[in-house]
Amino acid sequence: MEKIRVTGPKTQLENVIDSIYDLGLMDFDEYQGELDTGSPMEKSEELSELLVDIRSLISKLDPEGEEEASIHEVRNVAGEISGEIKELENRREKIKNNIEGLEQKKKFYRKLRGVDINLDDISSTNSLKFKVLDFEASKFEEEVGTDQYEIFHGRNLSVLTYRKTVEDKIEEALRNTGAEEHEYSDSISGRPIEAISNIEEKIREKEQELEEVKSDYNDISEQWGPKLNYVEEYMSERVEKAEAPLNFAMTEKSFIAEGWIPSEEENTLRNRLISASENKIHIEIEEAGEKDSPPVKYSNNRAVGPFESLTDLMARPQYDEIDPSFMLLLTFPLFFGMMIGDAGYGITSGLVFLTGITFFPQASKLFKALLWTSAATIAFGIIYGEFFGFHVLHTPFYRGDLFTEIFYLSILIGVAHVNLGLLIGAYNEYVHHGLLEAVFAKGSWILLQVGALTGYLVSSSYGTIPGLATGLGIGIPTLVMLYKGEGVEGIVEIPSLISNILSYLRLFGVCIAAYTLAGTVNQMASPMLASGSLMGLAGGTLIMIIGHTLLTFIKIMEGFLQGIRLHYVEQFGWFYSGGGRKYNPFGGEK
Amino acid sequence: MALELGAALGAAIAIAVSALATAWAQAKIGTAGIGALAEDDSLFGNVLILVAIPETIVIFGLVVALVIAGFI
Repeated sequence: MEKIRVTGPKTQLENVIDSIYDLGLMDFDEYQGELDTGSPMEKSEELSELLVDIRSLISKLDPEGEEEASIHEVRNVAGEISGEIKELENRREKIKNNIEGLEQKKKFYRKLRGVDINLDDISSTNSLKFKVLDFEASKFEEEVGTDQYEIFHGRNLSVLTYRKTVEDKIEEALRNTGAEEHEYSDSISGRPIEAISNIEEKIREKEQELEEVKSDYNDISEQWGPKLNYVEEYMSERVEKAEAPLNFAMTEKSFIAEGWIPSEEENTLRNRLISASENKIHIEIEEAGEKDSPPVKYSNNRAVGPFESLTDLMARPQYDEIDPSFMLLLTFPLFFGMMIGDAGYGITSGLVFLTGITFFPQASKLFKALLWTSAATIAFGIIYGEFFGFHVLHTPFYRGDLFTEIFYLSILIGVAHVNLGLLIGAYNEYVHHGLLEAVFAKGSWILLQVGALTGYLVSSSYGTIPGLATGLGIGIPTLVMLYKGEGVEGIVEIPSLISNILSYLRLFGVCIAAYTLAGTVNQMASPMLASGSLMGLAGGTLIMIIGHTLLTFIKIMEGFLQGIRLHYVEQFGWFYSGGGRKYNPFGGEK
Repeated sequence: MALELGAALGAAIAIAVSALATAWAQAKIGTAGIGALAEDDSLFGNVLILVAIPETIVIFGLVVALVIAGFI
């Protein structure tokens, strides 16, 4: 990255902003200095307001496609469309509430199913009344001291009719037996069975109305949607440009824009700006200084590229830090493959990742990185000779026979991986603080391991005391170096070196688990498959399909999480700090 | 016989207790992590690391179990 400063008269401001936007290469730095910062260009506020309105319309209409239109045209109708939409929304809300109320009523009448009287007949008399109740009839009958009533039992509710003259007695009996009057009790009429079909008819009518509202909605969306989309895109650009001067320094007659540009693009921008402004501006370009914090743009080849997404998942590297994406390409698929190691699962997981690339284009980079893990899984499957848990190829590396070896191999891989991290850390220290610091802060960790190993080797050949002496001989000076390099934290962290290396035993653990799980599914299916009957064959095949599909996802998850954490936690901890700012050029998203 | 039984039980306890300890720690960290992600989803990588840290406990459990069971 190089620092670029563009100075020019205000008359050239728009020209410069347009050119920078079109190229999409320069990442603006917010100006922080003694001069005033710029204010948005004319009409920016008005544009922003209209843009908000248009986006709100788009979010409601969800239109597809684009059609050319002028801002003027859309501005004139925006209010009208918004009014129409509001009205449609109100109508829809009202109809929905209506339908909900009708459904409630229908539910109520359903509870009365079996009550075969016309309630209108009762309410039209002067002497009779009725109540809809949820009660225990037998208790009530014991309690009430009159026979001037009749109970009609429905499915869940009952109707109690009675003479008005005994209303007091009835009510007292109801109170004493804890009967509940239904809330719709006062508002019902007619025969319950007829009422249900009436309500259903009404619901159908309302649903028809709802359809009409929906089609009105679609009409508006089809008529205006594509135009709104077009204008939204155009105006987003206008607003972004209009607000660009907020990052600039301004004087009465001139402006200064500062930012960053990838070194190889320097000339493209310079030439474009000079020709656009007819050589009326001044451009300065300089290397990033020590105090600067330039944005970070990855620069990797096509193979490493997808692994940038895994680095970003943790944190973008700082500007002057080694980008660990390459490390991820090197060892992440290897760990994944070693743990899962089955050609069958390599194929199924590959299919899952290919589907991911198609259906989640925004995460396609991540899935492309994961495709490498599928390839590694197939490769290890061939080495182990496994296909969906079956031992199909007779290779000398069948893992079912090699648990002990894999156990020790895991620790060895841990030692190598952690030390690789330490070496990169040493390089980072060397770049930032010089050789001495690199040796003290990172080299001492490696020496510590060398001391322990030599001590162990010497003690096993020459006895404990010479071994201890050698170990301490190397160890104690190393501890002093470590203390100088990393302070007390370094000494306190020593156990974490051991725990980090032992943590690689998860390679062994997941490896055995993957091997056993696939075998278990096959064991469950094999008696059925061996039975020879059609049912047995079908059942066995079903178990295999469900089991191995489920295991595919479990293994993807395990392989990914365990594999990636060995990098993030166990390795990156020794060298990586991250926290860089993402390179986000002005106009880069168009 | 009694020795073998004792070793098997010891191995079982080593892996079971360390697995429970890991689960307990991950539950606590995971809950807090999800809370943090709800605020700012760019923290995903950091949360993943924090959740992954206690997993080492169960790996130690596994090693101890394997030693007791005579695997190593």
